[in-house]
Amino acid sequence: MSNKFFNNKVNTPFFYKFTLENNLMMRLFTLSLFLLLNSIIFAQNQPNNGVAKSKVSSYFLQHVNLFVSPTEILENVSVLIENEKIKDFGKLLLSPSDAVVIDMNGKTIIPSFIELYSNIGLPAPVSHHSNRPQLNTLNKGDYYWNEAIHPEVDAATLFHVDPTASESLIKMGFGFALSHQQDGIARGTAALVSIGDVPINKAIISPLSANFYSFSKGTSNQSYPSSQMGSIALLRQAFYDRIYAQETNNYSLSMKSWTDHLALPNFFKVEDKWEIIRASKIAKEFDLPMNFIGSGNEYANVTYLKDIKAQLVVPINFPDAFDVQDPYVAKQIPLSDLKHWELAPFNTKILLDNEVRFAITSNGIAAPDVFWKNIRKQVELGVSTASILNSLTLVPASYLGIDSLIGSLNKGKLASFCVYNLNPFENEALLLESWHLGERTVLNSEQKNNVLGKFSLTLNGKKYLLQLLDDKEKPTAQLIEYVKKYDPKTKLTTTDTLTNKVLVRLNQDDISMSFNLDDQKDKGSFQLHGRISAEGGVMEGDALIADGTWVLWAAIRQEKPSQKEKTNKEVTTELTTPSAWLPNMAFGTISKSSDKPIVIKNAQIWTNESEQILTDAMVICSAGKIVYVGKDNQAYPPNALVIDAKNQHLTSGIIDEHSHIAISKGVNEGGESVTAEVSIGDVVNPDDINIYRQLSGGVTAAQLLHGSANTIGGQSALIKLKWGASPSEMLITNAPKFIKCALGENVKQANWGDFNTVRFPQTRMGVEQVFYDGFNRALIYQEKIEKFKQGKIPAIRKDLELDILSEILSGERKITCHSYVQSEINMLMKVADSMHFTVNTFTHILEGYKVADKMKAHGVGASTFSDWWAYKFEVNDAIPYNASLMSQQGLVVAINSDDAEMGRRLNQEAAKSVKYGGMSEIEAWKMVTLNPAKLLHLDDRMGSIKVGKDADLVLWSDNPLSINAKVNYTIIDGEIKYSAIEDISAQERNRLERARITALMLKSNKSSAPGKKYEKKKKQEFHCNTLGEEGTDSENTH
Amino acid sequence: MKVIISLILFLTIFHVNGQRVLLLNGLLHVGNGSVVETSAIGIQDGKILFVKNALTSNFDQTQWDTIIKLDGQQIYPGFVATNSTLGLNEIDAVRATRDFQDVGEFNPHVRAQIAYMVESRVIETVKSNGILITQTTPRGGIISGTSSLMFLDGWNWEDATLLKDDGVHLNWPEANNGDSWNSEVNSKNKNKDYKSQCAEIFDFFQMASVYAKDKKPTNFDQRLEAMVDCFKGTKRVFIHASELQQLTDIISFVSEFKIPFPVIVGGHDAYLLGARLKDAQIPVMLQRVHSLPNSEDENVALPYQLASLLQKEEILFCLQNEGDMEAMNTRNLPFQAGTAMAYGLTEEQAVRSISLSACEILGIDQNYGSIETGKSATLFVSKGSALDMRSNQVTLIIRDGQLVDHHNFQEKLYLKYKKKYEEKP
Repeated sequence: MSNKFFNNKVNTPFFYKFTLENNLMMRLFTLSLFLLLNSIIFAQNQPNNGVAKSKVSSYFLQHVNLFVSPTEILENVSVLIENEKIKDFGKLLLSPSDAVVIDMNGKTIIPSFIELYSNIGLPAPVSHHSNRPQLNTLNKGDYYWNEAIHPEVDAATLFHVDPTASESLIKMGFGFALSHQQDGIARGTAALVSIGDVPINKAIISPLSANFYSFSKGTSNQSYPSSQMGSIALLRQAFYDRIYAQETNNYSLSMKSWTDHLALPNFFKVEDKWEIIRASKIAKEFDLPMNFIGSGNEYANVTYLKDIKAQLVVPINFPDAFDVQDPYVAKQIPLSDLKHWELAPFNTKILLDNEVRFAITSNGIAAPDVFWKNIRKQVELGVSTASILNSLTLVPASYLGIDSLIGSLNKGKLASFCVYNLNPFENEALLLESWHLGERTVLNSEQKNNVLGKFSLTLNGKKYLLQLLDDKEKPTAQLIEYVKKYDPKTKLTTTDTLTNKVLVRLNQDDISMSFNLDDQKDKGSFQLHGRISAEGGVMEGDALIADGTWVLWAAIRQEKPSQKEKTNKEVTTELTTPSAWLPNMAFGTISKSSDKPIVIKNAQIWTNESEQILTDAMVICSAGKIVYVGKDNQAYPPNALVIDAKNQHLTSGIIDEHSHIAISKGVNEGGESVTAEVSIGDVVNPDDINIYRQLSGGVTAAQLLHGSANTIGGQSALIKLKWGASPSEMLITNAPKFIKCALGENVKQANWGDFNTVRFPQTRMGVEQVFYDGFNRALIYQEKIEKFKQGKIPAIRKDLELDILSEILSGERKITCHSYVQSEINMLMKVADSMHFTVNTFTHILEGYKVADKMKAHGVGASTFSDWWAYKFEVNDAIPYNASLMSQQGLVVAINSDDAEMGRRLNQEAAKSVKYGGMSEIEAWKMVTLNPAKLLHLDDRMGSIKVGKDADLVLWSDNPLSINAKVNYTIIDGEIKYSAIEDISAQERNRLERARITALMLKSNKSSAPGKKYEKKKKQEFHCNTLGEEGTDSENTH
Repeated sequence: MKVIISLILFLTIFHVNGQRVLLLNGLLHVGNGSVVETSAIGIQDGKILFVKNALTSNFDQTQWDTIIKLDGQQIYPGFVATNSTLGLNEIDAVRATRDFQDVGEFNPHVRAQIAYMVESRVIETVKSNGILITQTTPRGGIISGTSSLMFLDGWNWEDATLLKDDGVHLNWPEANNGDSWNSEVNSKNKNKDYKSQCAEIFDFFQMASVYAKDKKPTNFDQRLEAMVDCFKGTKRVFIHASELQQLTDIISFVSEFKIPFPVIVGGHDAYLLGARLKDAQIPVMLQRVHSLPNSEDENVALPYQLASLLQKEEILFCLQNEGDMEAMNTRNLPFQAGTAMAYGLTEEQAVRSISLSACEILGIDQNYGSIETGKSATLFVSKGSALDMRSNQVTLIIRDGQLVDHHNFQEKLYLKYKKKYEEKP
């Protein structure tokens, strides 16, 4: 019965047509209508067994310390609760005659918290695992074609009251939870429920409260998607399919319920700070207001989150300290983990300082005492109680548009709150009562009498000293026995004391104790039960003693506990917020690099232009561009940074035509044979150490390619290796569009084991047909678009895959195709010829030397390995002379890495063509600079040292092709991104930071529970053939 | 017949058996750290008669059957690829061509020598870059098996054998990493079983050492039999390990079992142990130079610098190339030495790290590893520095005094297609 909470005057049947209007008022209005309509459906009246249930008509709570809302705290007031709501509160409030009056004796009342990320009361989703690839959905019925998209899943219809699961949430102080089935990409709707042992007809506050999304396909065993970029593409396509369904008024069950619930608030669950940026891009594309369930490391990109005005829900499951006692083990822990350990508790503080709005979730914490410890930790670090309470109550309520009903204890709101003996944000408080919808549950009662102290215990004719210590609520106890000893030698009698541990349980004036004695007379176990006198000074009762008989016992207090000085809480010195590095890991930057002009003089300059190599020459860069190249006598701006490059060689930056670094969660979307819809640009990962490593090898730009697991892979990202920047800052602006295609063993899954024999194609014959099928579908799609434009058809289904294939046909998007043997190389050129487009680049292309003349005729370039072969059957005829032979035929030839290790010494790889085939040094050098720039159609701004081009430069200690060459400086867009000198300071900085945090951790190891064992994670790299979201350290077969 | 040969006109076959050959005017990298700028090297019956300074010595041309004038080309001792699956593995992805790992945990009896495919196409391409000797090594398990020292040329494995069964290979369990020997590849749990896994090795060596002392025909044991020579010192024990915890435990292990010739293979953290390793007299076959740092925190260039760090600690070490695509990649071993040179070794230390030092560690330095009087004439000539990609151009290979073909099928394919394009109108 939830409609009663809304004073909605609309009571006639109501019809509402959905629009995509982004009008907040409209949304809230429609939202409340929904709640109304649905609540009517849910209304039910259960007949009583016997006469009607007795009910208190109202409660009157006196002497309350009331947190009405985060900003309004009233001391010593009364609260009147009537019909599940707060009727009134105040100092001068009078108790109605029919109210049950409870004296709260100065206890603290806090509004119940709202948990936004919960699956309470919902069954676990079922998965069907199989070793074989599953290409189609197993869901029978008119649902979406992909198992990970199920917006029709309705938590309210699956919900049951689960008092056991509620327990820990209740102990944390929660009263409400937004519960949804945490599975899949479009997960369905969530229900706002009251937790606790509430009747089912009251438990659901609002059945349709929010939509939930994530990037994880969950229990779906369908092959697609297998990567994060695949999840992104799938979700976008599904949104477009929904729009098309609406436009054509032709709904599947999935699309119908999605459309019906479109106006609900939206939540996106992410695993990392950068995923918030990715998810917000999707939300923007479809004009959906979005909230993000974060991962706790938002402090590390907070400025970007501020820019997009992100509304967050953040966890407070701060990582445990690692066990760093053993330096051999501690040395393995990466600085990124150490820094996260230190910074995670500051997350909310940093979000507040940057004015990013957030709610707090208990997600990730099972134990209530940990939850409260972490809440208080934040208060210690300087987050105000009001902010924390706000983020647990009013913020979540406002995310749900339901802050008129819950989130505070203002008049008219639901009477769900917790009663504590003390202010729980500042003290270790005891949760005494938990009120749900005006119903009281007593969880603990505060010990009225203080029974701590020393007692003289008389038991079975003997006297003992009983001590009750420490905690007034849960005392620990010990029994001290006096044993007289007579020493015959000295003839002296001495008294020994024996201390025994006592288990004690206290419940108001009822006490039970048990202990073991090892006395000659009284050997065995003793169990005592008794009452405590009103003042706590006398206890007496019955005892079951060692020999199984019952006796009486009594104890009288001899000494009250010494009134300890209230220990001043250690003032923590951690008041300064530690700073995150960019990225927040070893070699991360701590300050923005200077944008002053740079002058490099006295250098040997490899221009890659007709001047070839200039000696004792000068380059001036300003505002990111090269503004002067020539003799060493040019005047330069006085504020310029001058580098004397005597005996050093200056080149343009290395461009890696084929790289898989800096990619999040999957380099391959191998779920289907054609996945043109996915884009590496969606998942660029700026936190990859390989960016820094490759800078140290002189790489300034790279094409991040999709892998080679399928025939038509995904779109490329062209990036500059700007260490410390955001993904979007790394992407090259207005970059030409590229896509990866692949041929041969990988796409036909030749080396994937015996289970992978299902997906088409399994032969080179099939590969050709996949191309034709894709391109023909694109042609038909283009015709349809034409018809739509002419108004001949009313609507068109936007197809992300065919959009991209159409771009290939029109020449707008270029192909980089993974290839090995001559037959397949020839085949793709023929396919392209017949479809009237040109293949831009063959990559790997290890048998290119056999068909170089045909490639020349087609107009395709080549990006190859210098000397790789023998790793699989199709590279049996690969020769290191390949680059030279293709070059001799007039092809534009590049040498690429496809390998994070080789990517940082591409200069060496280029030099191998001098050995194999006698290429000149100047031409060999172009294979890693100018030629890849040409292949990427970036040669108008990169690839040579020429006035007007990007200032992407590398200063080498020697001839860059020499085995002795080392990088002294790497400059991107006129900013120094790597320098050999700064690298040494960075190592020093890493060392000091590591020592500083390790010292804090050691302190924590000593003061608290033993630390977490460190589990070493192997650094995993992506290769062409890496499948799934994780990298691999298995054999690389490219 | 006296022939004076300029290398440009070199004929592929001549018989040098019994003949006297003089290599004249080459820049000689002896292998032991020294250089002879303009050298004269006399060769007879497969042995080096003398190494002299050509400028200060006179030679009677009539005394020589063949004189090869090298005119500034560079002479190196045959490079040695230690710890390699070269010859046991032809195409990585094709299971039928992989012969380096068998079933079982303690396999000292499994011998690489007889599986060595001397006509491997991969071997051809490696030889062309100056690598003339390899330690053909099995992989997997706790004790992978027994390696042998092989030449890169020969009609069959028998005549390609330099030293049969030179040592067993023991994979030490990983201490701080759940990537332990038996578990699945990507498990990330800490190795909780480290102690028990070490104990397993101790037990096995206990058993083997008892067997070695008190061997009777009645208790013949194929597995333990293969271990006997490890305690006698005629077989080495190659212990594959890289982290500090492992290395310190290995030092105790070899001293407890009095293993005469232990060698650490990998040895990433060896530089941190310094004198302890040197005092224990355990040499290191250092991990692949061209590899990524072990962790994101590690100095980016550390893998390049490890060799010079060991050099500073005066630990005997050589380079090896275990890792991804290692058989094919063996041909880049000279350039790995080159990189180690760029990051701290001198040129001659770098040469030594893939020649004499390797032979010292393998125990064959009496005859191989350097170009010195009385040693086997196993050497090659390169147009320029063999450690630099541009100038590693091998023009002559001599192994035990015999001339060996330095061409390979890849070069032939190159010439074939070059010709095709040149003939095309």
